Amino acid sequence: MHILKKPDLSDPKLREKLSKGMGHNYYGEPAWPNDLLYIFPVVILGTIACVVGLAVLDPAMLGDKADPFATPLEILPEWYLYPVFQILRVVPNKLLGIALQTLVPLGLMLIPFIENINKFQNPFRRPIAMVVFLFGTAVTIYLGIGATLPIDKSLTLGLF
Amino acid sequence: MRRFISQLLSSFLILSLFVTFAPSKSWAYPFWAQQNYENPREATGKIVCANCHLAKMTTQAEVPQSVRADSVFKATVKIPYKSGTTEIGADGSNVPLQVGAVVMLPEGFKLAPQDRWTDSIKEETQGVYFTQYSDERDDIILVGPLPGDQNREIVFPILAPDPSKDSNIKFGKYSIHVGGNRGRGQVYPTGEKSNNTIFTATIDGTIASIESGEGNTTLVTIEGTDGEKTIEKIPVGPTLIINEGEDIHAGEPLTNDPNAGGFGQLDTEVVLQNPLRIYGLLAFFASVSLAQVLLVLKKKQVEKVQASEGI
Repeated sequence: MHILKKPDLSDPKLREKLSKGMGHNYYGEPAWPNDLLYIFPVVILGTIACVVGLAVLDPAMLGDKADPFATPLEILPEWYLYPVFQILRVVPNKLLGIALQTLVPLGLMLIPFIENINKFQNPFRRPIAMVVFLFGTAVTIYLGIGATLPIDKSLTLGLF
Repeated sequence: MRRFISQLLSSFLILSLFVTFAPSKSWAYPFWAQQNYENPREATGKIVCANCHLAKMTTQAEVPQSVRADSVFKATVKIPYKSGTTEIGADGSNVPLQVGAVVMLPEGFKLAPQDRWTDSIKEETQGVYFTQYSDERDDIILVGPLPGDQNREIVFPILAPDPSKDSNIKFGKYSIHVGGNRGRGQVYPTGEKSNNTIFTATIDGTIASIESGEGNTTLVTIEGTDGEKTIEKIPVGPTLIINEGEDIHAGEPLTNDPNAGGFGQLDTEVVLQNPLRIYGLLAFFASVSLAQVLLVLKKKQVEKVQASEGI
């Protein structure tokens, strides 16, 4: 069984909204109470169960005590910092490395201006934005994998 | 008095005999670490074997994800290398590689007593002799050197501690540090090079002469740019790659690198798990599933009302 509310097309306000590509929340399955009261708690409980399960079966570990005078053999930041850490690591000059880090926010700032005259939303109709995105993703993954490898293999990933 | 002196002398003799011959026993090599370091893991996380075994090669370890209190489990250290590899012995002859391993357990964990070894552990540890690092550190277990071709996988039987008996031990996750080595080292603890390494020129100049010295050594004389002669003593083992009359710069190799082995270390972790926590978790999962099912049923019920009222 499925509860579906049909769009009331006699309502001029709704028709106005639909013509602008909005108003899709006026029809379909009602959010309250079907989703918000019954299905949201199902998802919330499932998430809590996953977190509790991990906490019991794979608890967090206390590592070695920090010692400012002993740098660990292999230093690695959290996984989401691997790509920028790799930039810092392979660039011979630290200042240059820091300068290259600023490229990350600068590149993100460019996003609204890339291909903004294109009227299509469909990514397949936005070739420049698509190419920039895919190239950026590939470079990020490449740098991230390189960060986990020894420095002599990190640029070639040990493949060549 | 005489008797006392002769007793003293004989005990000295026994002691000196022991001191002379003990290091040449088959387990001699971890012995050097035991002699020189109270704790074989430096503050940087480096295991001290790497101070003499300079070459790096991978070592792998397998431990269970979690273990129960007061249970015996197996930690397997894998020291891979190409089978049939030989290296240069101290006398220059080709010998098969030997392997050794160290496992540094968390506090309270130790080698399982023999009466608790299962049949499969007994089978897998045949011919392997475990030593604890020192009297104080029974949480550090050493193995080796062993013939490498039969022991590329070494199984350590380990006894987990029991928090109900020792209040210092807590349930939780702990790290295990593992080191595995194959082959001879490149330097001795005293800092001298072994014959299993590369020898390099110490000054700029030309090779004046290559002569054989005493005890199978080779003496390479380098005449420096200022005319001063330096003799590089190369033990038997490495092969010379230079000829008389060649120019050479400081740091350039005089011999090949005969080393075939290497040391590798890694950190792994194990959870000391309380069965009560697992039962509690299962009960919690059951109550969550029940709540989810009831919510979906309630939604279906409400949908019936909505259908009858016409939404």
